[in-house]
Amino acid sequence: MEATVLEQPASNQQGLDYHALNAMLNLYDAEGKIQFEADRQAARQYFLEHVNQNTVFFHSLEEKLSYLVRESYYEAEVLEQYDPAFVKAIFVAAYERKFRFPTFLGAFKFYTSYALKTFDGKRYLERYEDRVVMAALTLARGDENLAMRMMDEIISNRFQPATPTFLNAGKKQRGELISCFLLRLEDNMESIGRSINSALQLSKRGGGVALLLTNLREAGAPIKGVENQSSGVVPVMKLLEDSFSYANQLGARQGAGAVYLNAHHPDILSFLDTKRENADEKIRIKTLSLGVVIPDITFQLAKQNEEMYLFSPHDVEKVYDVPFSEISVTEKYREMVDNPQIRKKKMRARDFFQLLAEIQFESGYPYILFEDTANAANPVAGRINMSNLCSEILQVNEASIFKDDLSYAYLGSDISCNLGSLNIARAMDGGDLGATVETAIRALTAVSEMSAIDSVPSVRRGNDESHAIGLGQMNLHGFLARELIHYGSAEAIDFTNIYFCTVLYHCLRASNELARERASSFKGFEDSQYASGAFFDKYVAKNWVPETERGAALFEKFGIHVPTREEWAALKEAVMKDGLFNRNLQAVPPTGSISYINNSTSSIHPIVSKIEIRKEGKIGRVYYPAPFMNNDNLEYYRDAYEIGPEALIDTYAAATQHVDQGLSLTLFFPDTATTRDINKAQIYAWKQGIKTIYYVRLRQMALEGTEVQGCVACSL
Amino acid sequence: MTLHSAVHPVAKAVNWNRLQDDKDLEIWNRLTSNFWLPEKVPLSNDVQSWASLTPEEQQLTIRVFTGLTLLDTIQNTVGAPALMADAVTPHEEAVLTNIAFMEAVHARSYSSVFSTLCRTAEVDDAFRWSEENEFLQAKSRLILEEYNATSNPLKKKIASVFLESFLFYSGFYLPMHWSSRAKLTNTADLIRLIIRDEAVHGYYIGYKFQRGLELLSETERTEIKDFAFALLFDLYDLETRYTEDLYDPLGLTEDVKHFLHYNANKALQNLGFEGLFPEAICQVNPAIMASLSPNADENHDFFSGSGSSYVIGKAVATEDEDWDF
Repeated sequence: MEATVLEQPASNQQGLDYHALNAMLNLYDAEGKIQFEADRQAARQYFLEHVNQNTVFFHSLEEKLSYLVRESYYEAEVLEQYDPAFVKAIFVAAYERKFRFPTFLGAFKFYTSYALKTFDGKRYLERYEDRVVMAALTLARGDENLAMRMMDEIISNRFQPATPTFLNAGKKQRGELISCFLLRLEDNMESIGRSINSALQLSKRGGGVALLLTNLREAGAPIKGVENQSSGVVPVMKLLEDSFSYANQLGARQGAGAVYLNAHHPDILSFLDTKRENADEKIRIKTLSLGVVIPDITFQLAKQNEEMYLFSPHDVEKVYDVPFSEISVTEKYREMVDNPQIRKKKMRARDFFQLLAEIQFESGYPYILFEDTANAANPVAGRINMSNLCSEILQVNEASIFKDDLSYAYLGSDISCNLGSLNIARAMDGGDLGATVETAIRALTAVSEMSAIDSVPSVRRGNDESHAIGLGQMNLHGFLARELIHYGSAEAIDFTNIYFCTVLYHCLRASNELARERASSFKGFEDSQYASGAFFDKYVAKNWVPETERGAALFEKFGIHVPTREEWAALKEAVMKDGLFNRNLQAVPPTGSISYINNSTSSIHPIVSKIEIRKEGKIGRVYYPAPFMNNDNLEYYRDAYEIGPEALIDTYAAATQHVDQGLSLTLFFPDTATTRDINKAQIYAWKQGIKTIYYVRLRQMALEGTEVQGCVACSL
Repeated sequence: MTLHSAVHPVAKAVNWNRLQDDKDLEIWNRLTSNFWLPEKVPLSNDVQSWASLTPEEQQLTIRVFTGLTLLDTIQNTVGAPALMADAVTPHEEAVLTNIAFMEAVHARSYSSVFSTLCRTAEVDDAFRWSEENEFLQAKSRLILEEYNATSNPLKKKIASVFLESFLFYSGFYLPMHWSSRAKLTNTADLIRLIIRDEAVHGYYIGYKFQRGLELLSETERTEIKDFAFALLFDLYDLETRYTEDLYDPLGLTEDVKHFLHYNANKALQNLGFEGLFPEAICQVNPAIMASLSPNADENHDFFSGSGSSYVIGKAVATEDEDWDF
């Protein structure tokens, strides 16, 4: 829906409206303290002055539901799966929880972006509790017990479905429940044309779309044997960028897209230059995100200070009879260098890395996928050659072949992923991590089973065959700080390691149970390391338990059982026997909006600032205090720029070893950093087994003498 | 024949490795790393938001931006070049050329906003308005008089700091106000980039003013200070009337005035003088205040704009030891 055009707030006694009260968070009071109370007041004012006055009133739940169904706001089918008495009971149970948003941004974000509004966009039809219940009723598909459990997990803030699911579930006029799509392009006009159509279709339905450009022939390559005909990848990027700007989800948000290219593609330099500050308008890429796929060999070449060869995808495909993206450049590098049939260019490998860092300085892009690391850790058959808009989805795909009319001569498989995240602090508080994970896996699997993207058949096929899902995590820093542990400390990394190990165990256990219930596994299970049992070797070989006292005490304090090697061995047997329903289980997204409504820190990142300034098209500039922070525990809220890249990478490395897909990892630097500092962090990340790097972010402090006085986010 | 001429001074190359004032290099580095062009901001994302403004709000916004364009034009074509003549180091001259150029970029930016959001007729109207608005013209005249070549170098700097640190802000208020209401947020990004630059410009010129002032006698200093305050009073008088003229219909005038006081004090501070307006009437709305920060510290998602975060980095090659694996 279009941005709400509700009346602007009236002022309170002090003459400050809720925006002003919220902004006071970013200004110290006379004693130099952060004004947390002002934000709580802002949240209260927001309800009194705005939400309550603009909410449609109903006399009873029955009246409300029948109105919403009759007027085509709610999907009747969702409610009809249940006994009306149960529907009433679950709404009552949700309201009894007396949920309150602890921050202004949480409430503001929810009502601006998630709550159901009247068609004219002027009045609210839902409260937070209604949205939670509708999500639970939708995903439980008629199972009362499961619906109740899902409602409980979500309203307790232990599990939070991703935005597309939470936003759309149960609504009659809605987009898809899936977050994210990944499409590959092949080296022909039909594939390019079809993918632009797919990008439009998927953006219209509300997903972020990533496209693989590695297989497209480079600028200057021959077409039908005539030399110098192809224009390369940049014009395709332009077409995609414009497509994404055109399509949006009922105005809810703009389409967003990413493109990935292999570092050894001959167009790599022009690809990166599209993000230059002084790029020509014809080639400048403003809103499309870029990602570069880097194999191990590039690092080896840089280490030896050698040149790196870039290979024509057109020739590679002719020689090997498979698209460039199916080749491991590391493996075939010397062979391709020596093959005269493959035309090539070269540049110094270190210059490539330096250029990469320069562009990251200027634009934050590109993302990086360490291709060989991702493939080495991939338990299923096939090749990972790209990631997505947030660089956490890592799945295998298969090329499609098109006829002239763009119908399929062969239907390949593309990737979709639906996501949801656990709030680590609340999941630990809950005391039954196994049950929380299992309910989350069932909710995510439901999204996969309920989705059929018929507009892009290759995506539909991929989803039908894999039931790939991505369970993420958030609020790591919030949890650690609440427990008075420093992010990045030995205890924190120890906790992260065992927490993720435990989550993995329960993910596999739940998916194995689903396989038994459905009597079906994902396609290709027999060729996976799950089927051979090899995947479990490292968990059966040793006991994965906390190594620090503080780490062990945490699990004890919250009564969270850490699986033993015997339990792992039993799980191995069960999986080898009955299989897994989901080909992919975990992926840790960057969690923007949902972490605000869930009162969490983003993902497993450190906070970016004690008071975060959040800017979005729909909500404007709003201020968000780190969860559980008060004026007495500030020392545990060192921000990402203070913590530095190494501790962050170490934390991610501990988690990465237990996650089958990727984790969005942003690197943070002060503006005094050089490209060399960025390169060093990338090398370190690659060495530590990190699979992907998301944004590079820089913070420039105000020049002494020009700063805004008394500003929290501006001072160090 | 001799190569040296008695009449013409020796042409000197600027040597950045011999600095008379470290501040010149510091500011040069900051300004160059802050280089940007309006094309980087996806202004077209504001088209829908623009349509949600009432015709009066749209007209006000165009007028405010036209007023800002005029100030940037003055600073670009007259102000910074006039200061260049008084530069005491060759590096200061170089910094001022950068300032002059960025002012041109700023003036250009408003036109990018116009061409993206508005119809040509509305913009032409606003430019005509800017030529006819007595307060806008009067304050421009006051500044231009001081930029006159015969004017005292310190007085030129005072005029320049008042323009950079005070006069701009009645205009900056509006986009910050809109963005705190989730409107025109990408335009606000662009304005924040301008604010980031102007903050440095005002600070630097003020710094150079203070160095110049130190060389004067006590009496001369008092005379300059009196001049500064007198000019500020004149400008303030015009500025309040300009503000009332613009903002009265929206009922924002009182709030904007607080903002003016705050920035007038800030401008005086840049010149090394004490503030003029008491704390009580400098209480700016926190939503505006917090959105002003010239730092690149906001968090945004890829569905929205580009933010004002990124800078041009320093390239340093990696060494063998970095590739130790």
